[in-house]
Amino acid sequence: MRQLVPGAIRESDEIAKLKEKLFRDIKRSAYVFRVDCGGCNGCEIEIFASISPVFDAERFGIKLVASPRHADVLLYTGAMTRAMRLPAIRTYNATPDPKIVISYGACGCSGGIFHDLYCVWGGTEPVIPVDVYIPGCPPTPEATIYGFALALGLLDQKLKTRHHVEGRTEEVIPAHPRIPLRMRVELEREARCMAGYRYGRIIVERFMRFLESEDTTPFAARLDSYLTKEDDPRLTEIMDRLKEVAMRRGLP
Amino acid sequence: MLKLLQELVKTGDATTKYPFVPPPAKPGVRGKPEFAGPRCIACAACTIACPANALTMETDAKAGTRTWQLDLGRCIFCARCEEVCPTGAIVLSDNFELSVRNRDDLLMTAEFTLTNCRSCETPFAPAKEVNYVIALLIRAGMPWDEAESRRALFESCPACRRRADVERHCQTTMLPQAEPMR
Repeated sequence: MRQLVPGAIRESDEIAKLKEKLFRDIKRSAYVFRVDCGGCNGCEIEIFASISPVFDAERFGIKLVASPRHADVLLYTGAMTRAMRLPAIRTYNATPDPKIVISYGACGCSGGIFHDLYCVWGGTEPVIPVDVYIPGCPPTPEATIYGFALALGLLDQKLKTRHHVEGRTEEVIPAHPRIPLRMRVELEREARCMAGYRYGRIIVERFMRFLESEDTTPFAARLDSYLTKEDDPRLTEIMDRLKEVAMRRGLP
Repeated sequence: MLKLLQELVKTGDATTKYPFVPPPAKPGVRGKPEFAGPRCIACAACTIACPANALTMETDAKAGTRTWQLDLGRCIFCARCEEVCPTGAIVLSDNFELSVRNRDDLLMTAEFTLTNCRSCETPFAPAKEVNYVIALLIRAGMPWDEAESRRALFESCPACRRRADVERHCQTTMLPQAEPMR
């Protein structure tokens, strides 16, 4: 799937060795040059958010520069489009060795949501050798800082590849055994209608946990005390509607 | 000048302490999709919903397995998979520390066994999915033996099922029998 495109750059062993040295004892600021190969600008906004005073990547010496000739780190954002392939290669060649290349965002890592477009070569990788991948769409400023810390050898990688093989006795039992299926469907539909697909699901799951609970306190009292604690009129409205639905269907 | 200093002291330090301290909890943040293999029935709903094709499923008919794969490098964290998952096997967590040095560390895979079609013997539906459907029918109020009696239907592939339908129709309407399957 990750085949190389014509004109793809391969790294020589000598440079790889030099780069290891750079990783080990950089002992100074790392200058970053940013290349947008055809993204939606979301990644750029997050990069500038991460050098703002709140996240302040500059306290680690990470500084954006205006020319690839000054850079130690190249930050490629966006899917590798046909038109930006040559400028990307020229930027890579213009940067002095050794250099660290970071793929930023889902599009930089693999082409992201644009991966199968006619004008997209994929991510940064088919054209330029990449050292660190920062996934996200876009990566949050914290994820950006973590990625830079990984690139500069300050933090360790946490994610590892995982493979699950179905066990012999694996079986899935439908959730919420104490709630009638028809009622559950109606509750889920109402919650999604009120709060959208993600938050609706979170809210309805919480509601059904209240319904199923073994607690001896009456259901309505428990729900009320929870809603007073949360103190959110939107949540109260949604939960009230869910309660109406449950009443209509007959509480279990 | 004094007023400015006062203001500065009052405002304090706005910069976050991350990465020296654990990241602050942010409710509603969409991080890494956490996949619970034992809860997955390999129904492929998530792979159809995924707008970025980060989730893919491949059937290996020879080995009789179906492999599910999540490519975090392509994921756009939209939570559509979480929405469509009937068993809650995939849920977005707040883990955002996903940067890797090796591209393959962004991949997550799971392998499921398929049951063979009862008439043509080709691997067809995940065994877990068939069991889940029967359990769901029982939950919906169908008696156990009636739900179990449908297992034969669930374990035949669409082509064989269509063929069985035609044969049944021929029998009831007294039409000539369909040609035997080659």
